[in-house]
Amino acid sequence: MDAMNVYQPDEPRATPSAHFERELAELLVSVLQLEVAAADIQPEAALFHEGLGLDSIDALEIALAVSRRYGVELKSDDEQNGRIFASLRSLAGHIERHRTQ
Amino acid sequence: MSALGDGSPLPLIGRPDDAVLFRTAAGPITAAQANTAAHHLAEALPERRYLLNLCRSRSGFALATLAAALRGQISIAPGDGPAERLRAIATRFADASSIADDPATPSPLAAHRCLPPWPQAALMPAASIPAAQVVAIVFTSGSTGEPLAYHKSWGELVWRSRAAATQFALSPAHPVAIVGTVPPAHMYGFETTVLLPLHAGASSWCGAAFYPDDLRRALAACPAPRVLVTTPLHLRSLLRHSLDLPPLARIVSATAPLDASIAAAAEARFGAPVEEIFGATELGSIASRRPTDTPLWRLYPGIRIGIADAPIVSRPGAEPCPLADAIEMQDAEHFRLLGRGGDVIKLAGRRASLAGLNRILNEIEGVEDGVFLAPTESMAESMIDDAAQPVARMQALFVAPAHSPSEILAALRGRIDPVFLPRRLVRVAALPRDALGKLPRQALLALLDDG
Repeated sequence: MDAMNVYQPDEPRATPSAHFERELAELLVSVLQLEVAAADIQPEAALFHEGLGLDSIDALEIALAVSRRYGVELKSDDEQNGRIFASLRSLAGHIERHRTQ
Repeated sequence: MSALGDGSPLPLIGRPDDAVLFRTAAGPITAAQANTAAHHLAEALPERRYLLNLCRSRSGFALATLAAALRGQISIAPGDGPAERLRAIATRFADASSIADDPATPSPLAAHRCLPPWPQAALMPAASIPAAQVVAIVFTSGSTGEPLAYHKSWGELVWRSRAAATQFALSPAHPVAIVGTVPPAHMYGFETTVLLPLHAGASSWCGAAFYPDDLRRALAACPAPRVLVTTPLHLRSLLRHSLDLPPLARIVSATAPLDASIAAAAEARFGAPVEEIFGATELGSIASRRPTDTPLWRLYPGIRIGIADAPIVSRPGAEPCPLADAIEMQDAEHFRLLGRGGDVIKLAGRRASLAGLNRILNEIEGVEDGVFLAPTESMAESMIDDAAQPVARMQALFVAPAHSPSEILAALRGRIDPVFLPRRLVRVAALPRDALGKLPRQALLALLDDG
């Protein structure tokens, strides 16, 4: 696995900037055509199932958009995959750490 | 020989001892290893009628299926779904233990165990299973209502795998490496990524295969010739992505109709023929075609369709089964699909194809997704006789941010027979497509209730 895409769980993790969280929320609302406003997505709320109610089709759409916009490839077997997709905040943090564009 | 076979035994694994069946992160699993593991696990299973197969990896799912068959038990494949669905299945097939390959997988049963590590290959007798023995129960994906259970005999599964090998010219001397995006508990994924390696010249990738980058890395980890077994949904995603894939020998698609333009784009981009499989949970795969080549479906060897009031499919190892789709036979081996999935709807003596109505709805400018719902619970009912039934009407859901329901209705008027105009037309943010891109009827009805 690409060393760039691995981080240790105990690595100090900066909270992603509120600005970037909002930018990502707007991307999600746009590509998934959500009926909520970007500002109404709670950073710590679950993206999948009970929270925003996203599903695996949305996961594919998010992966495509994130690859295009930030040059980050999402992977199923990433050790942290469940945590990365847990919330807007965790996804934003992952992208901020690995973005190439 | 009767439809169910003469009960003669068929091999548990029809591959040479050193053939690679599965490619896992920990290395390849050979036929001899799989045989050894299946014998060990079969001995260790508690005495039950059923084995609830909760394994998510293809190799684990295969091992549990084989061990259950050896032990005379039936592997139940509930697949992914809400916890209530799993509990309902566990209640219905109560005389069961369960097995998973991931310690984190919850089970509704107390008699639950995790797969042990793969053993080294040991000298074990080559086992066989009576053709008529029921070895697996699979479920419909629920697009026509509640999940229905279908029993599969070992004969049906083995003979169909051999038929698929002939259909796709799979050679034991030059096995293909399959990377599949479809879950092993889904009938299409079960046949192509679990059963084919056991009985045809193929191995199956058992690592991650969901995101485009997963597929790129999985294919790179497999030797040529590589075959991608996927769905229109994943194919669309791959086409929109800029990733380059290692050379492919073939792409196979099923679970939903594949647009010929998507097939053509995929062939151009990936340099491999795209084949589409026609099947259903109750039938398994029965025909295939190359959409860029022909609209006609070619039956697998051994499959016959007779048309009386409705098409009836005969296939080795199983009772004849009616086909829910409207077809027209061209000759004994080829047919044209007129409408899919209990597609033919009769209302007030008129006929329409659900697929046709959906196409018209989706062709309206500004409509990004849309679906009609036939009025009856069972699609098949609408094919029988409408005389005794009240004239229920169509409903529809659509995704079109810039258009109101009345605008869509106006656009539909004149394009379709007025009896099929939706009585109820609800705008939604997205359709509740499941992991395979299908639209479970219950989810659509729930959306209509909310609208």
